[in-house]
Parts: sequence; structure tokens; C-alpha cells
Amino acid sequence: MDLIEEILRAGEKQADEVEVYISEAESVSADLKRTHVETASGSKGFGIGIRVIAGGRIGVSSTGSPRDWRACLDAACASARLAHPQEWGGLPSPAALPPVPPIRDPRVALDPAWARNVLEEMLEGAGEHDAAVTGGSASASQSRIRIANTSGVLYEQERTSVGCSIECINERSTGYEFDASPYLEIDPRRTGERAAFFAEHGAVGEEIESGNYDLVLSPVALTQLLSHVLEPALSGRNVHAGRSWLAGKLGEECIGENLSIMDDPSRKAPGSTRFDAEGVPARRITFFDGGVLEAYAYDLRTAYRYGQESSGSAVRGGPGGAPSIGIHTLVIDGRRDTVDDDPAVYVHDLIGAHTANPITGDFSVELSNASWVADGEFETPVRSAMFAGNVFDLLSSVAAIDRDERIVGTAVLPRVRLNSQHIIGK
Amino acid sequence: MDTVRYYDIRHVRGSATHVDIDNGVVESAGTSFYDHAVVRVLGPKGWGILTMENLDPAALPEPLVREALSLALITDDPVDLADAPRGILPLPGVGEDPLDVSLEEKTALLAGIEEAAHLPEIVNTRARYAESIEEVRFCDSSGIEYTYAIPRCGFSVLAVAARNGEMQMGRESHYTIRGLNLRHRQDLGERAAQTAIALLDARAAKGGRMRAVLDPELAGVFAHEAVGHASEGDLIREGNSVLAGRTGEAIGSQVLTIVDDPSLPEFGFEPVDAEGVAVSRTELIRAGRVNAFMHTRQTLAAVGNGAAGHARASAGDQPLVRMSNTYIEEGDSSYDEILAECRSGILLKGSRGGQVDPGRGVFQFNAEYGYIIEDGEIGQMVRDVSLSGDILSTLHAITLVGDDRRMHEGYCGKGGQSVPVSDGSPHIFLEDAMVGGNGSD
Repeated sequence: MDLIEEILRAGEKQADEVEVYISEAESVSADLKRTHVETASGSKGFGIGIRVIAGGRIGVSSTGSPRDWRACLDAACASARLAHPQEWGGLPSPAALPPVPPIRDPRVALDPAWARNVLEEMLEGAGEHDAAVTGGSASASQSRIRIANTSGVLYEQERTSVGCSIECINERSTGYEFDASPYLEIDPRRTGERAAFFAEHGAVGEEIESGNYDLVLSPVALTQLLSHVLEPALSGRNVHAGRSWLAGKLGEECIGENLSIMDDPSRKAPGSTRFDAEGVPARRITFFDGGVLEAYAYDLRTAYRYGQESSGSAVRGGPGGAPSIGIHTLVIDGRRDTVDDDPAVYVHDLIGAHTANPITGDFSVELSNASWVADGEFETPVRSAMFAGNVFDLLSSVAAIDRDERIVGTAVLPRVRLNSQHIIGK
Repeated sequence: MDTVRYYDIRHVRGSATHVDIDNGVVESAGTSFYDHAVVRVLGPKGWGILTMENLDPAALPEPLVREALSLALITDDPVDLADAPRGILPLPGVGEDPLDVSLEEKTALLAGIEEAAHLPEIVNTRARYAESIEEVRFCDSSGIEYTYAIPRCGFSVLAVAARNGEMQMGRESHYTIRGLNLRHRQDLGERAAQTAIALLDARAAKGGRMRAVLDPELAGVFAHEAVGHASEGDLIREGNSVLAGRTGEAIGSQVLTIVDDPSLPEFGFEPVDAEGVAVSRTELIRAGRVNAFMHTRQTLAAVGNGAAGHARASAGDQPLVRMSNTYIEEGDSSYDEILAECRSGILLKGSRGGQVDPGRGVFQFNAEYGYIIEDGEIGQMVRDVSLSGDILSTLHAITLVGDDRRMHEGYCGKGGQSVPVSDGSPHIFLEDAMVGGNGSD
């Protein structure tokens, strides 16, 4: 009998419902230390996550061994006995899944020589500027997940991903860049060139006086702040638990009226998916429409508990992870414009964004690779400065949204221009 | 396989148990299992590394070594390994073995801690327990073999207070290798709640340059972020640290000595490092001067100055140069002397974590809260206050080191891996600090 079938049949005897999540992945990668390839790696991963529901009590367990599934099932059942019971309306039944661009590129091969070539292309790109490469990495992976439950769901999804990253230094100025995609569509040469550019450009930086300035945040800097503050604030679980600044604000204008924020799992991005991590069809959710808070994100557990509907927002951290609420592909929209024609301080990266207060949205971070920009050109770099503020206020200060966007993690974000933000200089 | 210069296999099997209680509701409590192995082969030049699950301990290593070697053949970095002393320390004693306590009882004990946080104005409480019991087996091509099992467990408790639409949080945690730590710890739940409530009355800190006192927890994070990472041999080798090439140079005041010691029985303890090397104390900064770096065998061979024994790896990941238990050694100033010397400034307490760019020499980290110091006395509480700055100039700004060192536990991320660490320090005084906050006068 197929492993999934075997677990479902055995689990049915011990619980009302059973869910099995199986993840398999293979990858290759190569790492650069300075200008040499130091390491080549290959990995094979496998994981089973089992979830059982008995009388509204939810239990989970996982294992990396297909041979140990019975112990894993027993542990999930033991886990369910400890959990408090809750309102539960059942695991999802099979449903029509939305069309999504394929997230598996058949051209992605697990070939260490490919990874080596990517590193060499990044080195060539980095050679265009006066900066030393300190390290870099290239990787390719293929993965397959299957989710099945006792209500008849059996979905499978294959995906590929490729990525590269590089770090450079010139004196005491560093530059870091990366590129990632589900498709064989990364640009290692440009990645190397950009990292070296930032390292070279920042070497002659000047201090900045404390005060209020117009800023342009890169998609990298933007996603760092949003993922640590906005994403948790949109989680239905945090909202109902009283841990979210957005609780009780549905229908209110919470951010700038020129800004809409969505989860769009149908986008061509690494987080794209047809179904969520507990087998609910994925769908586009508009969290903010023209600045007005329209929706929170729900998984089944939270939705049943609070009389809501799952928004298909369950994600898993890995094969061992239990489902939790997340965002598949974070997208920002609004009227597109140029963001750097007028002078502003461009912020490419932030140091310490994860230390932001996830409940209030207050943050205080150090700028990294900051530079004055005007007429779309980099001008004098800013040597060092702190940026303190509040993520929700910041989203109310967005004056312009760039026409271009890039993939950062699972988000696809543009550069944004912010009016009058507080910078602490030297 | 005559082109294999060295290989090692690190096989980690374990169980991870967790309990999650949210507002009095047991959301989840259970155990999961993992089994990861990493095979490293040093070929003619660099490394080939193979990662897999469910390695049969009785299987012969040759096929895996051959497969890893085929990866190593694409490398071109001439890697060498320094000799290093081998040996394994006995494990520190465990008070109450977490394996002897049922999950039901752990859940009940955690619920007691969470319950203690239910004070007036608290609108949400969340407590989490995490336990890992890990069995590590290491062997290498020189015939060295070690096995050990180490339990790590602990809990965190979060309380959110709300008043008139304003929300603040307080958080406490404690992790240990010394056995179950859930009994009689309700005080931490209460303390998290008291901090959250007190923060409702705190004002936003006004950023700028000022005198600052760091409490032992935040000063420990400072030692970790600002000095520890910059002293890692891989970053030194790559030219990505401001401390590279500065051995013997005075980079801080003479009162400052910073140590990393994996042999201390704290949360970052390792009985032997991840490449089978004996662990020992390394003085990174001694009396204000750059003294030694932390190394793997590879970075020791490439850089010199310091000691191997600082290789660490998450289960299923390759060894990296990592910190373990990092601390500022005690000085001779009392806390009251430090406050008096500060006169006017800010006391920063607790840590929400930090980050460093070691190549640029810039660090940032956030305190959980702070207090204004006026005339050497503790005054108004402030929230959302951070510290950032230049590593080298900040070390010179430390002019007093207290006599009251304490250690705190946490996890440190690097290269996609997270390992348990502890940091510590006495109170320290910075006569010139860059403090961040978005408040105004």
C-alpha cells in the first residue's frame, strides 16, 4: 500500500480525521570563499508531518524516517489528547484548485558544475567594480510536496528553485546582493556587479545630520520591516488573541490611501501555490484596499474557532512544521510612478530589522548601503545612520510606488518613496 | 580513493518536544523526531559535503565518501586543516531529567507560569516550552569517534498589556542544559506581565548620542554581536571583519576582557566541537587588546592566532565557526558607582536581539526597555530603545565594567543555522553611545 494511504488508514482507527504532509527535496550548492570555490554540497531531504483531530483536539508530530511513521502517528495522537478541544468543522474536501503558473522549471538540473558556473559569473560581474569578494553561494533544488487527508484530499505540487548570493568589501564598506527564482531566470552577473557596486560606492560615504528626510526604501529593506511587523499583525490568530495593532480595525483606513497590499499566490514567485499547507485552495486576499483594512489571514484552526472562513493562508516551515498562518506571496500595489527623480536617501538594506516591536510596529534600525539619489542616479553615499519609526506610520507615508519590482524571499515588492522620515545621524 | 585527504561523519538523532499555551488554551503539545547525517570529504582542494536522513550507523562509509568526493572535485580552494587537540568533556550534571517527566506534567507546569502572567491590564499571554534531546555521533578518517547525548530545554513567556488602544509587551525566558526548569518559575510569568504593564506608562526614547549603562543581558548581546562575530576565523579569513590584522592592537579600554568558552556548563556548552576537537576558553579581547580568534581546523590553518574547537553545527548542517558562551569578564566597579559615574544618560535593559555587519564594523541591537538616568539616579522608563554604532569606537567608549556578571541564554543565527548560545556581562558604562528611538522631547 502507498505510504500515505497506509498512514491515513491506520490513523482513522485512532482519530476522527487524519492529515499527512510529505515533503521530499534534493539540492546542490556551491560556496565561494573569496575568489575560490571552497565547498560543493548535495542534500536529500524527506519528512512526514502527521496531524490528527479527535473530538476537536488537534495533535501533530513529524519524522524524517518513512520507517518510523507508526511512532509518529502515535505521537500525534498523544499530542491530541493534551490539546484543549475547540470548535472544528472538518479538514477540507477536494475542491477545484485555481490555475497558477507552473513553479517547476524542467531546465533546473541538480548539477554541481552549474552551481560553479553561477559562482564564476557572479565573480565576473563583481570584477566591474573596485571591491574584493568575500564569499558567495549558488544553489538549485527540486522538491515535491504531497498533502492528503481522510476527507479525500490528495494534492501534489512540484517546485524548483535557484538562487545565488555574494558579498563584497572595499575598505570598510560592504555590499551584499542575491537573486532567487523558481525558474532558471536568475542573473548572477548582475548580482555580482551590484554587490561590488555597493561596496565600492559606500567606501567614500559622508555622515548625515539628524533630521527628517525623504527616503526611498529598496524592496529588500521594505520586506525586512514588513515581514517582522505587518505579516504577524495580519495573522487572524494574533488579531483575535489581542496581539495585533490591526485588531478591531477592519474597514478603517490604517495605511496610506494610495496603497493596496495583497497575498497573491498566483504570482510567478517562489511562494506561488494552488493550495495551502492544509489543503485549502489558495486564493488572492486583499488585506488593504486603498489603505483600508479589508481582511485578515486565517488557517482552518483559527477560522473555526472564531467563526470565520479559512483564507487558504496555512503555511509550514518545513516537513516537520505544523501548519500556521502565513502569507504566500506578499504584493504591494497602487499608482505606479518614479521614486527617485527628486533627491532622497536611498536605503538598500537594514541592520537589525528583526528587532522591531512586532506588536506596536516601532523599530529602530541601522541603515546599510544608504546613498543620496537624484534623477535616478546614485550620488553621495551615507556612511552611517539610524532610522527610527513605526511600520504602520511608514506605510501611511508612502508617497510613490516604483514601476519595477523584485522577488525578495516569497514577497514581490517595489521600491517605495517615503516622505519625511526621522534619521539619527552622527 | 587516494584523493580523499580527510573525511568526517556527524550523525545527529533527536526528538523535539514542544508545548504552546495561548491565553490559557493548550494549542499544541507533542513530540517530533529527526535523524540527520552530514558527510564531509576533503578532496584534492576543497570540501564535498553530503547531507542525508536516516543514515544506518552500521553502514560502511565508503560509498558516501565517494559520492561526497565527486562533489569536492569541482572545488578549487586549497583547503588545509590544522592539527588540533582531541578530547571530550564529561557532560554537566542534570537535575531533573526531562525524559522522566510526562508531557502532561510539563504542560501543567507551563500553564502555571502562563497563569501567573494574568495580571490586570494583561490582554494576552503566551507560554512556550521547547525541549530537544539530541544524540550526536562523530567519527573521522583518523579513527576518532565520539558519542554523546545532550538535553536542552526551556521556556518563554510573553505578556501583552493594553490600555486605551495602546499595547506593550513583556517577555521572559530561561533555557538550560541542566534538566527540567519548569518547576517554581511562576515569578517569570509575573515579571513579563509587570514589564508589559509598566511599559504602558513609558515614553518613547529620544535618540542621539549620550552616556549609557548597559545591563548584563544587553551588554552580553553587545559582546556577542559587536566583538564575537567579528572574531570568527572564517570572517577573518575572508577579509570580512574589522578585527582582521589587528592582533595585539588596543581596540578598547584596558578594563575590557571578552571571552568565548564552549566548556562552560552554560546553554552554549559543547563537550567536543563539531569536528571532534577539544573545546577550551579563548580570550578574544584581553585588557582591551585583540588577543585571539575563534577557529575551525580549516580557519586556524589559514589564519592562525587562536584556537580550533569553535566548530558548531545544527543537526544536518555543516560545521561553521560559531560562538558558544560569550561574555565580558567582571571588572571592579559596583552598579552604584557606574550609575554615579554616568550622572545623566540612559540605562538600557534586556534584549530583543541584534545584528552586525562585521566587515563594516557596524552593529545594531534593541533593548527591551530602558530608564533615563538623572543625577546618577534611575528616572523615567522608556520603550523601544536601541543601540547602534561602530564596533571599534564603541569599545573605546566602555570606561567602567561592573562586578555583577550574569549569563543569559538564546539562539544565534549564521549561514541559515541556529545554535544555542549564552551571553553575559556585568553592567558596563559607555561614556559615548549612539542610542536610537523615535521619541521627541
